[in-house]
Amino acid sequence: MYLSPFLYFTPTSLDDALAVLQAHLPDAKVLAGGQSLIPLLSMGLARPSVLIDINNLPGLQGVTEDRGRLRIGALTRHYDLETCRVVREHCPLLAEAASLIGNIRVRHRGTIGGSLAHADPAAELPLVAAALDATLEIHSPEGTREIAASRFFLGYLQTDLAPGEIVTGVRLPALGASTGYGLAELVRRAGDFAIVAACAIVHVDETRRCTRVALALGGVGPYPIRIRSAEDLLAGRSLTNRDIHDAADAVPDEVAPESDIHASAAYRRAMARVMARRALEAAAARATGTRGGHG
Amino acid sequence: MSGTPVDGQPDQSGERWPLHFLLNGRRVDVWAAPHETLLAVLRDALGATEVKYGCGEGVCGTCTVLLDGAPVNACLLLGVQAQGRTVTTVKGLPNQDGLHPLQRAFVQHEAAQCGFCTPGMLLVAHAFVRDHPSATREQIRAAVAGNLCRCTGYTRIVDAVEAYARAGNPTSNRGGRDGG
Amino acid sequence: MAGEHPGSTPPLLAYRVIGRPLQRYDVLDKVQGTTRYAGDWQLPGMLTGRILRSIYPSARILRIDVSRARALPGVAAVLTADDVPANALHEDATGFNLAPFATPILAVNRVCYQGEPVALVAAESEAAARAAVEAIEVHYEPLDAVVNVETALRPDAPRVHAERENLLIHWKLRTGSVEQSLRQADIVIERTYRTQRVDHAYLEPEAGVAWVDADGVVNVRSATQVIEHFRTLAEMLCLPHNRVRVIAPFLGGGFGGKEDMTVEPHVALLAWKTRRPVRMVWSRQESLLARPKRHPFVMRYKTGAARDGRLLAQEITVLADAGPYPLLSPRVLFAALVAGAGPYRIPNVSVDAMAVFTNNVPASAMRGFGAMQVTFAYESQMDLVAEQLHMSPLEVRARNFLQKGDRLPTGEKVETAVALPALARHALDALGERSCPTTRTARVGRGFACNLQPYGRTVWFRDHASAWIGFETDGSLVLRSGVTDLGGGQAASLAQIAAEILGVSLERVVVHFGDSALTPLAGGTFATRQLYMSGNAVLKAAQELRALMAPVGAALLEAGPADVQFADDYVSVIGSPQRKVALAQVVVECGHRGIPTAHLSVFRGEQAPPVDLETGQGKTFPDYTFGCHATEVEVDTETGIVKLLKYVACHDVGRAINPQSVEGQIQGGAVMGIGQALMEDIVLEGGNNLSTLFASYLIPTALDVPDIRAVAVESGEGKGPFGARGIGEPPTGPPPAAIASAIQDAVGVRLYELPMTPERVLQGLAGTGPPEG
Repeated sequence: MYLSPFLYFTPTSLDDALAVLQAHLPDAKVLAGGQSLIPLLSMGLARPSVLIDINNLPGLQGVTEDRGRLRIGALTRHYDLETCRVVREHCPLLAEAASLIGNIRVRHRGTIGGSLAHADPAAELPLVAAALDATLEIHSPEGTREIAASRFFLGYLQTDLAPGEIVTGVRLPALGASTGYGLAELVRRAGDFAIVAACAIVHVDETRRCTRVALALGGVGPYPIRIRSAEDLLAGRSLTNRDIHDAADAVPDEVAPESDIHASAAYRRAMARVMARRALEAAAARATGTRGGHG
Repeated sequence: MSGTPVDGQPDQSGERWPLHFLLNGRRVDVWAAPHETLLAVLRDALGATEVKYGCGEGVCGTCTVLLDGAPVNACLLLGVQAQGRTVTTVKGLPNQDGLHPLQRAFVQHEAAQCGFCTPGMLLVAHAFVRDHPSATREQIRAAVAGNLCRCTGYTRIVDAVEAYARAGNPTSNRGGRDGG
Repeated sequence: MAGEHPGSTPPLLAYRVIGRPLQRYDVLDKVQGTTRYAGDWQLPGMLTGRILRSIYPSARILRIDVSRARALPGVAAVLTADDVPANALHEDATGFNLAPFATPILAVNRVCYQGEPVALVAAESEAAARAAVEAIEVHYEPLDAVVNVETALRPDAPRVHAERENLLIHWKLRTGSVEQSLRQADIVIERTYRTQRVDHAYLEPEAGVAWVDADGVVNVRSATQVIEHFRTLAEMLCLPHNRVRVIAPFLGGGFGGKEDMTVEPHVALLAWKTRRPVRMVWSRQESLLARPKRHPFVMRYKTGAARDGRLLAQEITVLADAGPYPLLSPRVLFAALVAGAGPYRIPNVSVDAMAVFTNNVPASAMRGFGAMQVTFAYESQMDLVAEQLHMSPLEVRARNFLQKGDRLPTGEKVETAVALPALARHALDALGERSCPTTRTARVGRGFACNLQPYGRTVWFRDHASAWIGFETDGSLVLRSGVTDLGGGQAASLAQIAAEILGVSLERVVVHFGDSALTPLAGGTFATRQLYMSGNAVLKAAQELRALMAPVGAALLEAGPADVQFADDYVSVIGSPQRKVALAQVVVECGHRGIPTAHLSVFRGEQAPPVDLETGQGKTFPDYTFGCHATEVEVDTETGIVKLLKYVACHDVGRAINPQSVEGQIQGGAVMGIGQALMEDIVLEGGNNLSTLFASYLIPTALDVPDIRAVAVESGEGKGPFGARGIGEPPTGPPPAAIASAIQDAVGVRLYELPMTPERVLQGLAGTGPPEG
């Protein structure tokens, strides 16, 4: 409830924001939704002397769709992802993932840019970004760059974001008719960070044969992990139960979970397989228009 | 570009800035330092003690307020971020003879025991039923699940919200899909 | 045994107020956000208090330097042990000097648990107070920490307190010949059960404001269950008892966690030293770190039964982790001793209940108080007996249920009805049809568990409670009681009792409660004692006041005193309701005639000497509340996740003063027990607390529990007013055992350790893991 004092800026343009950030490095933090940052401040775990509140920057909120790709402003709130018509239509996976975050109050305030930049390994949006091969749009005084999610997440709460840079948007593909997704989470308590989360995206051709798969796992490593061996295994297959089981069986060897008070590494590893299978089953069912498995 | 959080000049200490917002329909003016959370401003400066501190992590929901109508954690918002906006606490629920129908339902169902979670619970439930007038019991349960209660075991809270939703929307059916 | 016979009540049919689901006046305030909790209080010139806490579980304090902190701007006081006038709380929770101990308010030379208060700060702002706490320099020499109860008892174990052994208390109960009976039993089941450390997790963190008033009285308005702490505070400040006043406003939950002092000594000291008002509110993280918890128990049970299901003998050892200070551990373990064998008739019983000092966070009172943990063990044992004898779990229990008139293992008689057969039937029937699994990897199972929980203090404490009732000349009623209201409707139910007897409408009754200076002392709200004690005190005061005033009302009506009734704000002639006179008029007439219209009564609870220390034989608690919970669960065999599909909690409440409040207590208590069964756990590692975030200490949300069906059976036999029994604590007991039983039924895995996490369930399924027992 109480924070230590800091200098506070509310820039109203991106250029101003970048300038003031640059001027106060390395001791400045960017404040977006604040749902992770403010608790760190109130518990004294972070002590920036400058806070740059980007909530008033124009053009960073909202979702647009253009030729099969969505562009999502970094300040778009989880609740907006959950309820936005464009998202629900073109990338329902993202809407579903957003709906699983924390609680309604957090979803009304938390932002997609903030969540990705914070990079909690068990959080929903980094997981989905990894599975969707999202690209992040990043601004710095030097200009703009884009980076794939797979190269953005570097370690536990660590990203490629350099001091002085601000995430301004996310681009990701719309999911077409021949694409299915599945999201499976194991939580100890409703609304909590997942012990293990899995996200699968399956593309099929007209013969319902799998052309491409993305499988990402959260909570079992320092950041969301793509399981390439499982993805390769499924490509070109017809997605029988056998295929999916084989792919899921490849997961435990590819993850690097750690133990904490909620679950041991061994349990997480075992559950990675189960969640991966459930996500794949749901994705396959959606892609091929059949029902089945766990939702 | 400067370090001013808001329009206007700081006070003599240079730490506090003029802050105004609509609190339960009335404009309030107060001096606040940027590091003061909305929860601290509401409780300490404005005496709005109906907004509770329960954890400071955004987990428990006792500090819930509606910011421009949306439920948020006052403990995770800076006071200055409310500049020019609308903040609603449980005392701002519209009412006749002192009680909003949702509050009346809570009394009738004895959905409060110690009452510490109650203001936040009421605000979340109010916003949810407003947006989803024909919500099912299970949807109501999910909607209030982000607000913790240690006394009631929740059954009566869900009862009360459900009764309120039904009363406001008699045609809704229990098993139906939410239209909102 | 001495003591008053409680519950002498008017005939049952005529109640107008008792037994009705009336709106609670406090709930009306609570939904409007107008209730002023302890932390909501503000006074002019108020300072903020904060605590510097130990970062080590066990360390020597080499030096404390407060000079830098004292010099900071806005700092009004920085206090260490040297500044406390009498830095020792002299405690003996046994009541007869079995375990005396002097617990420091602020650590002296040594810290014994992580989070122990070392120094206090009062400052002009929260930020200044924080800065001052950080500026205090403490030089520690870390020491080995004693963290395991089992090894702590070895002769060569390091000691928590150099001057005494690690065994804090050892209660014994012996009846019959256990060894011999176990030898002769057809089957013997021997298992070890473990329960975890649990936090009360009330939504209102510990809070209070202290100030010194113009008369030099130290006032403390705090979230406490026990205003009688004013005496301890006075002793700490070396003041006469009448110079300290404790006020308890409505609490945001207590559950035993506000039974020991929390902020009181700290704010009192700071206010006394600075002569300014001081407020202290603990952060949630502080509360999780350092507040006393529910004791983790290790319980060894050996149960012998005959082939026909009769229980022959039970040998029980309970080891509890007390942390470094006694607090209420001796009493918690005594409750475990008495309740250890459960609600069953067992001729041969031996119980050893021990609390052990460690450098873990202290443990003390929590709803269920020792009788809760043992329920998990004795009910699991009953299931195992049934399983081994190929009988149904209900049949085995039914064969052994206590009945009124039976003797408990302590030798005392069960004096009121035992409705367990009916409770079990209600609970199981209410489950209805068995559900189908929702997925192909899920399995559905059912279980139930019974319990007994004492209500009222141990009889040798010679408990008493006072209450004052007075009429105003307009016929409205004032009730004064030192009761504290934790949120369970304690104050409102007293109003109901007074309204019933004196015929005043409920809305014309005002309750002043919880003020050690202005309300007659009632003893704290703990041990499920307030309805029994203060309920009876109010009943008695109301009946006596009515007896004083009835002749005056009768005279006004030209009737005999026995022919009038008090109802609906009038005194009227029974059978001729049109012959009536307003209560207000009777009050005025009493004034003219010199008849008192206010009355103070003291109710004395049951009283008896302490039990025999070698055998535990004797009268222990005034009475018991019995219950049975039944549940249906779905277990995901791939993840181990346990989802509750249905839950029924059934208790004999004697008489429900307010049925809604009673059901609310049952529902909330059951969910607290469910939390302990499945998810809650304060995890320590080497004495260091790893569960200090509310995000990581998991209490159930609305989505983690189903609707709780509460069934209140009214046997009419209890020792509270109108035959009520206490219901505050009893519902926390059965959930872990009921759920363990249901998991067993679903997937064939029995768990012996709480919480029953998905991981433990899965290990059981795989046969790789913890289920050992």
